[in-house]
This record gives sequence, structure tokens and C-alpha cells, in this order.
Amino acid sequence: MTATKQKLSTKYPITWCPGCPNNLILESVKTTLSKLIDSGKYKHQDFAMVTGIGCHAKIFDYLNLSGIYGLHGRVLPTCLGLKIGNPDLSVIGFAGDGDAYAEGIAHFIHAGRYNADFTYVVHDNQSFSLTTGQATPTSQQGYKNKSQIFGVVDMPLNSIKLALATGVNFIARAFAYDTKHTAEMLERAIKHRGFSFVEIIQPCLIFNLDMNNLNKLFYKIPVNKDKAKAEKLAEEWNYNTKEGKIPIGVIYEAPSSTLKEKYFRKSASLKK
Amino acid sequence: MRLNILIGGKAGQGINKISAIISNALSKQGYFTFNYRDYQSLIRGGHNFNVLSISDQWIASHESKIDGLVALDELTLKLHKLELKPAGFIITQKGFEDLGRNLNVALSGALIKILGLDKKILLQEVKTQLGDEAAKAIEKGYNSQKTKFSLKKLNNNITIMSGGQAVSQGAINSNIDRHIAYPMTPATGVLHELSRMQLKNDNLVVFQPESEIAAANIALGVSFAGKRVMVGTSGGGFDLMSETLSLQGMSEIPLVVYLASRPGPGTGVPTYTSQADLDIALRAGHGEFPRIVVAPGDPIEAIENTNECFYLSEKFGALSIILSDKHLAESEFSLNKQANKPLRVDVKRKLPGKTIVKTSSYEHDIFGCTAEDTKIINQGVQRRLKKYEDIKKEVQKFQMTKLYGKKNSKNLIFAWGSTKGAILDAIKDLDCKFLQVLYLKPLSSEIKKEIQKAKNVILIENNVTGQLGRLIREKTGIKIPNRILKYDARPFRSDELKIQIKKMLK
Repeated sequence: MTATKQKLSTKYPITWCPGCPNNLILESVKTTLSKLIDSGKYKHQDFAMVTGIGCHAKIFDYLNLSGIYGLHGRVLPTCLGLKIGNPDLSVIGFAGDGDAYAEGIAHFIHAGRYNADFTYVVHDNQSFSLTTGQATPTSQQGYKNKSQIFGVVDMPLNSIKLALATGVNFIARAFAYDTKHTAEMLERAIKHRGFSFVEIIQPCLIFNLDMNNLNKLFYKIPVNKDKAKAEKLAEEWNYNTKEGKIPIGVIYEAPSSTLKEKYFRKSASLKK
Repeated sequence: MRLNILIGGKAGQGINKISAIISNALSKQGYFTFNYRDYQSLIRGGHNFNVLSISDQWIASHESKIDGLVALDELTLKLHKLELKPAGFIITQKGFEDLGRNLNVALSGALIKILGLDKKILLQEVKTQLGDEAAKAIEKGYNSQKTKFSLKKLNNNITIMSGGQAVSQGAINSNIDRHIAYPMTPATGVLHELSRMQLKNDNLVVFQPESEIAAANIALGVSFAGKRVMVGTSGGGFDLMSETLSLQGMSEIPLVVYLASRPGPGTGVPTYTSQADLDIALRAGHGEFPRIVVAPGDPIEAIENTNECFYLSEKFGALSIILSDKHLAESEFSLNKQANKPLRVDVKRKLPGKTIVKTSSYEHDIFGCTAEDTKIINQGVQRRLKKYEDIKKEVQKFQMTKLYGKKNSKNLIFAWGSTKGAILDAIKDLDCKFLQVLYLKPLSSEIKKEIQKAKNVILIENNVTGQLGRLIREKTGIKIPNRILKYDARPFRSDELKIQIKKMLK
């Protein structure tokens, strides 16, 4: 482990299940952050994170970064607050699929519009695992769980399509097992000026086992800047089956004005 | 001397403009005014009215009997004619039908003449603000009436301010950096006022997010990043913030909440007044954690209490709630004194960007990492408990209660918040004293002492269950049996209240 990675770690005992891909996401995050810090362009103390509540959120205790271990579903407004409070912070929000797409969906559909300059990482394991496996909005039809004993009847939410539709200008998907690619996506997301959304597909080894072993479906795409193509890429997988292909990579990237430019500059010019 | 003038019409006819013009002219003449605004939840049409009370002494209430009726439509005349005193005057739209939008200005001119005020200053102001047509309308109104009162100039230096403006001023005095709010009557006045104040305060940014839940969480983010922040809302929005208030309790990020209440439950009566949210201010949020709840009773107190809340929140990493209501937030008061010099609110915490600082909604150790160990849990619980003890000591510096009236009377009135004005006006020549409770949490120990000294204790509240009474009983074990409660979504009127108090005096 590099010295920077060491500094990014805490001594807190890891309580994820043995073999949980969250460990790999943690590793990817450390790889990205240490690279950025070592480049000299980012300072360790300038990073701040926000987590929701759920398995993903335990990352808060394992990363030696400033931040708020917040409420379930409220990662986005808390991140937005950090940026409105201090626009110079490099903010990363971590949320689970239940966090992001169930409890917190109302915030997600405004994030592209505000376009505050921070990164939103959603660990999508298609189940509420820390509450023992209930279905989330991205669980597949037929998924039998303790609260839906006859199985999920609704189609899952396609979060990439939603992000595109709501004006998010950086959308990437990664697969937790591919740590090198995940780290690259995180780096691109952090460097993107404006709101960036990275969905990391992450199997749960305990619940919703039917959605494990998707490995052969993933394929890497080059960075895409074309909106029409992005919409097609978003359609390629519907989260519901283990058929078709799952594109990973930067699904859409476009430059746009950030909250700081739009809002703070406008207020500043009005004050003159 | 006291006059009550009721100005009524449809929403959109500009009755507030009349109140503003007349109050402005009167304050220049050295007279105190109090403007009560009674309006419906609609934008055009309906029936709205203001009661503008005028006096040569400080007043902070309106009365039920009126000396003058300014009717911009027929309905006003019909609804309020019976409230007019025998010698009262009426001004109607008759004769001004051709003025269109300038009807309100013409009636202001008429009122100026009746009150015997100088039209020159008014004319000049109207000309610059509203143009020549409006100035002509003033003249026309002025010439249509005869002088009935001659309000000779008094030597008072008066400014006019609403409770909402005062909360904004208190926030500005505390160097507020960010105001985060979602529109909800009657808290919106502060959102608008602080938004305007961005023009003169370089550090201030006002942001309106997608919901109150977002507002509260954004505010915690802002505060954690090192900025002074306040959220503003009314009951429904405050309910939505509850979980985040609880997060504040655990994370100990300073947070100031402006809660301007209106009648509930549910949507209730959105543009009217009530004091029914003391309970939620005291208790909202799961778990046990310290907080400060302060209820100012007039604009000067609103300025001071808001500043105290910023100070206490920052000093203790605490939740402070400024509890107001529609009556205080939107009524316009005359002020002839200055608020206390504000306390400095300095951010001296460890901040992200400077060092590594973590906080959590989980019970956590000193590094901010999750804890389930009993020892650390006990430390956390006791730290929060001790914080409240420290807050209790600190607030002794402030006026937690105020005593008015005949200090050695055996009759004691208890009240809090916006009822102050009507009570002070009602008890002017009664044998009683009035203890105003500003700090509802922590509660002053003076309260028990005063109750024990008094023979006859009367509780006055703008709600149906007597929430302050319940709080006092909880803290002192003493039940206050004599209660004057008003819960028709309207504030007390001082003349009616005086009769009610008189019946209870011993």
C-alpha cells in the first residue's frame, strides 16, 4: 500500500461480509484519491464525503476523509450543502440503491439541474442488504424476499435513463470487480466540472443471489459524448434480466455550467 | 389616544399599500402604529383587510371596534360596518371609480386628510415611486374629505418593522452566510427579506431547494463546511425536517431553525395565526438531544433572540429554534428603540478543507467513526446531556423571561410569543403583572418562583390545549387552572382580551 493510501485508511475494523465487493469499491476509491492527491492537484484535507445509510455507507468509517455519515436518502442535499458552504471542497457522496433510488429519489432528479460540482457514487447491489434483503427500485421482477414473498412484480428503475432525462452531464457505470476500471471512472467523475454520477454494479453475496454472476454481460465502452447514443446505451440493460449486454464506462459526458458558476457568479455580479 | 382603522378589499386592490403609506406618514409625525394583516390564501379576489392601529404611545395590537372603515369594495362595507364605533368614519370607492389601479392611492389621500396629516411629503414620495397619475389620485382623495382629527407632531423617532424583517435583521447581525428555505407561509417573509438582503451583504447566499427535507440537510452540509446558516419554515415543513433535526442532535453540527407557525393540523388555515407548534418545537426528532427554543414577542426581541440562537448554536454545536407565528411574522410594529448590540458569532470549529473532521448520524467515537460499544455510547449520551447543562448556564446571560405590569400584584399572567402585544395593551390599567416566557427550552427557574409568589395565575395562549401551561406543569408540577385560550386562527384583540382578563382577576 502506498503512503497516501495508508493515510486514506482508518484502523476501524471492516464489518462488510467476507468477500463483499464493497471492499473492492473501497480499494478503487483509495486508488483514485491517492492518485489525485499524489498528482499535487488535490489536497487530502480538501476532500469531504457524505454517505447514506446501508451497507455501502460503512465506507465512511474506513476512509480517513472529512465528512458526514448522514441520513438514509439524503446524501445529495448534504453534498450540495457542503458545496454551497465551501465551493472549494472536493465532495464525494456515496449512496446505496435503496438510498439513492427509493428514499432519496426526489433529490436525484434535481441534481443534474443544480449541477453542483461533486461526485455521486451509487453502490447498486439491487437489494436492501443491511435490512436483510428487501427489494429496492432496481431489484428484478420475481425477486422473492422477506417483504415480498410472492416476488417483485414491478419493473426495475433504469437509473441511467433517469439521469440522462434529468440533465445529468456526467454518467458512468462501473462493475465493482473491475477495480482498475472503477478507479478510472471515479477519477473521471471527480475531474468532471459539475455533477457527476457513477453507478457501480455490485453483487450481494448474501441476498438477491439471482443477480450475481453478471460478469460475462459487461463490456467496456469508450467515453461517449453523444446524447442519442447515450440513450441507446442506457437501454441496453434494463436491470431486470441477465440477458443482453451491460455497457460500462462513461455513458455520457458533456460540459455545462456548474452551480458555482451559475449561482454564485450571478449573485456576485448582481451585488456590484 | 388610540384609533383603529380597518382597510379592506379584494386581494390585489392594494390594501397593504394604503397601510404602508399611512403608517409611513404617521411615523414621520411621531405616531406609533400597529398593522394587523388578515388575508386569505388566494392571490386575486376574496376579502382581505388590515387593521391599522394608531396611538401616541407604543402599541402592539389591534382592537375589535374601529374608528374608521376604508372600503375598497362593497363586501368590506357589508362585513365590517357593525364593528364601526358610533362616531366612526367611512371612506368608500365611490367617486373614484375612474381611477382603476390608483383607487388605493386615492383612498390613502382621503385618509391623510381625515387624520389631518401633511400631504406634501406623501405627494413627493408617491410621485417618485408611483408616478404622476398616482400623485393626482392622492390629490383627488385628499380633496374629497374634511379633516376629522388633527394629529399634531410628536417627538418620537419611529421605524416600522415586521417580526419577519426582524428575524432577518437578527440573522444579518449574526453575519449569516446562507439561508436555505422552501416557501411556506408565514415563514416566506424571511426568505424574501434575506433574498433582498443579498444585494447589500456580500457573504450572504440564499438558496431555495426542492423540499424542506433537502433544505435541512443542505443546511447541515453548509454548517459543517463552516458557514453560519439558518433554515426557515412553518409547521408542515418543520415536520419534514424532523429527521434532520435528530441528525443534528447526533452530529452536533450547529443549526438555526426559524419556525413560523400557522394553524394546523394538516394544511390548517395557512395565512392565519396560531401558537400550536410549541410542542413540536420542543420535541421534534427521535432520540434524546439538547436544543434551544426561543419565542420572541416583538421585533426587537426577534432581532435579539435570533442573534442569541446563532450564538448558542455555534458555541455549543446545538439546534436552536426561533419560534414565531404568522401574527408576529407579518404584523407591522413601530419601534422607537434599538436592539441590544449583537453578540459576535465566530466559527472556531475544526473544518473540512483545513483538517480532517468527521461526524456521524451513528453514535460515534471521538474520530467520528461508528460505535456500538457501551462505553462509547454512554460517553456520547452523557456528552449531549452535559451540553444541555452548559447551555442552561450560558442562557442565564440572556433575558429568559420578562416581567411587566404591577410588580407586586397578586394576579400573574403567563404567556409567550406573539400574544405579548395584545396582553401589554390590555393590562395597561389593570391590577396584574405579566411574565413573558422567551426561553421555552431551557425554561427559566424564575417561572416557579413567580407562580409561588402569586395568588392568581392566568395562562394566555393562542391555541386550544395550553401548551405553555403543560410545559410549566411538566417542569414545576404546578397546574395553571385559569386559562384564556383563543384558537379561531385569529390573534387576540386587546380590547376583547382586556374584558376576559378582568373577569379572571382577583
